[in-house]
Amino acid sequence: MTRLRRALSGIAEEAPAVDLNGLVDLAVAGHRRKRRASALLAAVATVATVAATGTVTAALVPSRSPQPAAPRQAEAVPDLPAGDVGPLDYAYETPCKVDGERRHLDCSVAGWRVVTHTGRTYRLRQALARTAQNNQAPIAISRDGRMLAYYSPQAQAHVVRDLVSGSQVTSPVRLKETRIGPGSMLVLSDDGRHLMFDPREGSKDPGLLIDMRTGKTVEVSGKYEAVSVRNGVAELVRYRKTDLWLMPVTGGSKPVRFKGTFMGFSELAPDGRTVAAFERNDDTMSDWVQEMRTLTLLDTRTGRERAKVPIRGLPKGQPVWITGLWRSGSELTVWIEEASTRAYRVDTRTGRARLLADHPKTRLVLPGLASS
Amino acid sequence: MDRHDGFREFVLARRQSLTRTAYLLTGDAHLAEDLLQSVLINVVGQWPKLSANGNPEAYTRKALVNQYISWRRRLRREWPSADPPEHGVSYDEESVDRIVLRQALAKLTRKQRAVIVLRFWEDLTEAQTAEALGCSVGNVKSQTHRALARLRTLAPELTDSRSLSEFQEVAP
Repeated sequence: MTRLRRALSGIAEEAPAVDLNGLVDLAVAGHRRKRRASALLAAVATVATVAATGTVTAALVPSRSPQPAAPRQAEAVPDLPAGDVGPLDYAYETPCKVDGERRHLDCSVAGWRVVTHTGRTYRLRQALARTAQNNQAPIAISRDGRMLAYYSPQAQAHVVRDLVSGSQVTSPVRLKETRIGPGSMLVLSDDGRHLMFDPREGSKDPGLLIDMRTGKTVEVSGKYEAVSVRNGVAELVRYRKTDLWLMPVTGGSKPVRFKGTFMGFSELAPDGRTVAAFERNDDTMSDWVQEMRTLTLLDTRTGRERAKVPIRGLPKGQPVWITGLWRSGSELTVWIEEASTRAYRVDTRTGRARLLADHPKTRLVLPGLASS
Repeated sequence: MDRHDGFREFVLARRQSLTRTAYLLTGDAHLAEDLLQSVLINVVGQWPKLSANGNPEAYTRKALVNQYISWRRRLRREWPSADPPEHGVSYDEESVDRIVLRQALAKLTRKQRAVIVLRFWEDLTEAQTAEALGCSVGNVKSQTHRALARLRTLAPELTDSRSLSEFQEVAP
């Protein structure tokens, strides 16, 4: 056996024990429900593990005490009422409950929950959480938490609801549930007027930028992934070449190419031309953790690098998981994962990071950025 | 007799192999479980056909690698989970090899990683690997070549030329 093969076997042996009995039960239950074509089946395949993986889209959270907020038990959670409920703080997905002893799966509690600024939690029954094919159906929250977008199976379209006025708009663009593929993404503009739907992130399947008011759509090449939609501009990134395209919501304009490979793009800074990202050097076995703790500020007009900012004050050895929103012209939110999902605000002039908020490690959706 | 008993037996009999393949592909315990879960849903749906005249093992493997490759490319939780060795702490050679290889695998493309797992962990032939990936044998050859070249660059301490040539020779 070669040294490489031995190392490969060694890694395989480190694979943690998986409750395959539980996974089989979930798969069978999911299949049964699928066959019944129940509205509930969308959530069936939601597993406890999904919650643990923390497939999160990060965004800025209003300042709160950095205490992890445990998702509430579903039984006690009321449905989201009509009318004014106030802006949202975040949303999360509740998985099916598994009773290992009785080999019982309870998916009546599965689905999306939303949490308001005031700490009230509501169940979002009207929003699809999982498709019949077990693809995650994302929801999205606007930057100020006031607007909420989700896919409605009844309407076969996306719905944007104003949580303060209580009004809601159903997208004139009908989309079958089957259009929501693996890794589907949703981005809601600050004003809730534009919705970017990517049926399958990272595929050639094109995305759709929908004007909720007029029903006009702009097709976006599947090569690009949306970061944000703000002030009439969609920020799109093509990771392969690292092109960034600030596309007007009506279409047009051209992307700029950066020299190097970058990931984890932030939204456009308040100066209207700077974005932050992490440079990845794939050609050397460099310290990838440090790479993911060093922000690069990029000029979206020239494609040039403006500054490299090593972040100070993050927990040792923790890479930044994703960038969030700009809090000001010099303060950016970044997220890391430890026992919980933690937001830090980083001064991009000094690199100094300070803890901002703490959330449970689950499939979270936070205001302002792409959701998947 | 539940009509899903066959499916259940199939999965449980291969629990170790399935778990390890998913873990090698994703490099993350939670992602591996997530991957397995979504694949098993597909497999159970196809089970009557597979158990009657199909090859459940090949189908499941194919579903695993293709689901893995088609997952989003955006970097989220897909960083290598093993910490680099700390200075001043002694590790045995095999432990260091695993850490280095884990980090190197995380830098391969998904297809390259899948090729490495299929060819050198699952011990599939080039033709079987092509079948699993749904591509040509020529594509498997080129992906394997690139993946090994990349490993050679990324993990020189692990992949000395002698070791790599052995690695290629023992591969079916």
